[in-house]
Amino acid sequence: MPKLSAIAASKVTPLHGASRMSKALAHPAPDALYWSGQMARVAAHADVDCFMRIYDHFAPRLNRYLLGLGLAPSQAEDLVQESMLRVWRRARSFDGSRASLATWLFRIARNLHIDSLRKASASTAWPDDGIELIPDDDADLGTGTSAPEAFADHVGLGRAIDALPAGQARLIRMSYLESKSHSEISGELGMPLGSVKSTLRRAFAKLRRGLGGEA
Amino acid sequence: MIVPARHLDASTLIGYSAGALPTAFAAVAASHLALCASCRAHLDEADAIGARLIEQQDGASLPGRARESLRERLASEPIEAPVAADAAPRDSDLLPAPLQPWFGERYSTLRWRMVAPGIHMLRSGDGGPDGQLLMLRTAPGRRMPMHGHGNNELTLVLRGAYDDALGHFGPGDVADLDSDIEHQPVTSPGVPCISVAASDAPMRFNGWMARAMQAVLRI
Repeated sequence: MPKLSAIAASKVTPLHGASRMSKALAHPAPDALYWSGQMARVAAHADVDCFMRIYDHFAPRLNRYLLGLGLAPSQAEDLVQESMLRVWRRARSFDGSRASLATWLFRIARNLHIDSLRKASASTAWPDDGIELIPDDDADLGTGTSAPEAFADHVGLGRAIDALPAGQARLIRMSYLESKSHSEISGELGMPLGSVKSTLRRAFAKLRRGLGGEA
Repeated sequence: MIVPARHLDASTLIGYSAGALPTAFAAVAASHLALCASCRAHLDEADAIGARLIEQQDGASLPGRARESLRERLASEPIEAPVAADAAPRDSDLLPAPLQPWFGERYSTLRWRMVAPGIHMLRSGDGGPDGQLLMLRTAPGRRMPMHGHGNNELTLVLRGAYDDALGHFGPGDVADLDSDIEHQPVTSPGVPCISVAASDAPMRFNGWMARAMQAVLRI
């Protein structure tokens, strides 16, 4: 597997990752390049220690996320385990030049959560036919590539999130961290639907600038 | 190859990324995303935002036994070979995959119901919290029934094209409309227009024909 060993050879050591972080900002933040390096070792060598480092950083955060979506602790724990196992099994499908590990993990946990809701609901509109509505990997969407998120360090994004006006931040959090639909947000806050959408639109434009994308 | 010219609204992309869109909307959004590199790039950004929010939060600790049992399982879980992208040429009779659970696999086996001369319709979903999907097939040059939107609506053109006050919509284009818009699309000449619309509230049709359709379809 020449390709994989090439990836492994270009891995980033924790030390390198740490120095890159401290240069970028004062308080420690996760480093996309470091985690991609850890994943490359999992992919190439089935490196359990690297994988457990990934687990120790991300699993508690996924747990917090799933609890925030309203899952019971035992359900959240099961979905965290399932997400982490998927990371292990699909390690070789991970492409750190296209998305950060954090983004990939978010997609996996979100998709498993949607699947579990679908199975639990009595809705006949969604037979359990294995169609993934939101693929974890771009490969599942067929040809044509999206702009690589690459090793975008997300310092700028973190700052942009912190700098959002309170109203916009609230709607962004309700969307992502509570999985509330626009109509639900509108109902809960007594805010017209059009305002919910335009507020989210403005927030997205600001956060994109934080990511380095043009708004 | 279809390159859509009309795209998903940022608020729709956020809802999709957050897993917060009603499933009918997610199915239409996913069908557009499969065709649209530009919206996929924006979705990557929306996913990065979700990931950052989750990483910013403090973790909620998991029991030590969960860590140990996972570690033990790794020994018996092989790492899979990467999945190659499916490069097979697409059968043009196939519906977009996200719509298949709602309407079946193929255009040729759709069981259209005529609701007016030149206008056929299909409905799927119960209009509950998951929303509902309407597929509409309109003959070339026909005026579609005037309708406004009680709430959200997301429309995707599958085949053919139409024009309305907002402009021209061809295959792969989405009309991601706010609730206050009332419009009357006219199908372009040539081929019938097939479109699919997700809605989370009954559409309001105006005029006697539209009211008759509403009665027939209970929409």
